[in-house]
Amino acid sequence: MADDSPAAAPSPGSDELLRVVIESATDFAIFSMDPSGLVTGWNTGAERLLGYSETEMLGRSADAIFTPEDRVAGKAEEERRVATAEGRAIDERWQMRKNGDRFWASGLMMPLSAPGLGYVKILRDRTEQHHTEMRIRESEARFRLLATNIPQLVFRAQADGRRSWGSPQWIDFTGLSFEDSMGFGWLDAIHPEDRDATLAAWNDAAEIGEYYVEHRVRRATTGEYRWHQTRARPIQTGTDDRDVDWVGTMTDVHDLRELQGRQQILMAELQHRTRNLLAVTQAIAARTLRASASLDAFSTEFAGRLRALSRVQGLLARTDQGAIGLRELVWGEMEMHGDIEGRVTITGPTVTLTPTTAQTIGLALHELATNALKHGALAHDEGRLGIGWDVAATRPGYALVLDWCESGVALPHGRPRHAGYGSELIERALPYQLGAMTRLDFTADGVRCRITIPLRSANHG
Amino acid sequence: MAEARRRILVVEDEYIIAVDLADALAESGIEVVGPVGNVARALAVIEAEPLDGAILDINLAGDAVYPVADALRARFIPFVFATGYDRSAIASGYETVPRCEKPVDGKRVADLLFRSIADR
Repeated sequence: MADDSPAAAPSPGSDELLRVVIESATDFAIFSMDPSGLVTGWNTGAERLLGYSETEMLGRSADAIFTPEDRVAGKAEEERRVATAEGRAIDERWQMRKNGDRFWASGLMMPLSAPGLGYVKILRDRTEQHHTEMRIRESEARFRLLATNIPQLVFRAQADGRRSWGSPQWIDFTGLSFEDSMGFGWLDAIHPEDRDATLAAWNDAAEIGEYYVEHRVRRATTGEYRWHQTRARPIQTGTDDRDVDWVGTMTDVHDLRELQGRQQILMAELQHRTRNLLAVTQAIAARTLRASASLDAFSTEFAGRLRALSRVQGLLARTDQGAIGLRELVWGEMEMHGDIEGRVTITGPTVTLTPTTAQTIGLALHELATNALKHGALAHDEGRLGIGWDVAATRPGYALVLDWCESGVALPHGRPRHAGYGSELIERALPYQLGAMTRLDFTADGVRCRITIPLRSANHG
Repeated sequence: MAEARRRILVVEDEYIIAVDLADALAESGIEVVGPVGNVARALAVIEAEPLDGAILDINLAGDAVYPVADALRARFIPFVFATGYDRSAIASGYETVPRCEKPVDGKRVADLLFRSIADR
């Protein structure tokens, strides 16, 4: 079949080849014009892109595709002038179709080889790309506006942490100039102890897709390091998938961290007190159980002691400084034991006690009152009870002297055979825990007790 | 037990708890030294008396017990903490000290201490 061989086909001339190329390049508008701009050639691509047919345009000015404002401004002539002078004119501009629609064109105009022959112009519709670029530019502008107006320090970096931009707030806070912060220069403002963790977080970031670290950043004005929480995320910055930047913010969390620290201390203190209180309760229960002849006796005794404990806790909860007034403590205890009007006198200046002191004195008073109710001044109408205290100067400092004085009681002479929990609290617990000196006498007239507790000077007045 | 009764120091500022713990330890056949309620007393006892171990409350009327712990360590006397504080609130350097949470069970704290003595 020798007839079908390519060698047998007629070889096209170079003009013919060029014509085929131009006609088939339908995505490009390609047209030629004479030196004055009158169209001399108009390809299919030009028909498609610009809406004018070849017959419409031949012999007509190619200036028709310029927008009216560009025509008035002489842009078409200028393009020809540049092409002549420089051998080509490249520009991007809005151009206009026959129906008046505008499109963003990327254009190239070249003079034809022989002078005086005119020009050829190649146009491509880049409207979509142009819109994308404009959107990116706008979002870039919005980003800058936001980044430079929020309290956080904002930065942009590559995936390894190499910095490419820092907001004015960063510069203000750290005192590092824009240039000095580039690359890894920003590390200068990070606390030396936190630099390893800061860099290590960048190694993790690419994998996790997020950068996160808490570290200390130096404030230039004071030289202090303040805790910051730094987060960054990768964002697309261009149309290409590889155009990825990391954008990060650094938020000052110093005060928050201090607050959390204080809260933790408070929580630990609360837990400590609660567990201590449980331990005291458990110990009192065990102690009460050992001294009780029956479960009934245990219930009554234990319930009373528990109430005395909870009264102190109640008083503690109502004060904010953790100090309890002695008067409130004494009244609270005595009121529990019914109508004491006319039989009990309570006198003394305002004195505040620490929670520990209040708890031990509260329990001791409870035992004294319970005893008085059973056998002493509160067991009979003739009985009288005076509770009084004062602050006395001692060496060193001051001491609280508290007197419990029963009268009008006909007690069997001498100390009871079985000295109870009250005696133990007064004679042993108070000295052990508060360094108190105590005296407990069972006189024929009733119980007399004196408790002397060393005070810090701030505790009275 | 054939061996001599072990001498254990109890350091606890709250009298009621201290006595309760001492009673429970005594019931387990331990010879209780103290109890004492502050750092100065505890240090004086450590200086003066032979001890096999100690049970320490951490907060002694506002003072931390750590100087007492240091004195015990210097003499290689094992000790445990009996405390209301969480592990997180214990000062660094003392995190590995065996710890019993309050309210403490006398028998349990004694067992814990004896294990420390055996491990010595």
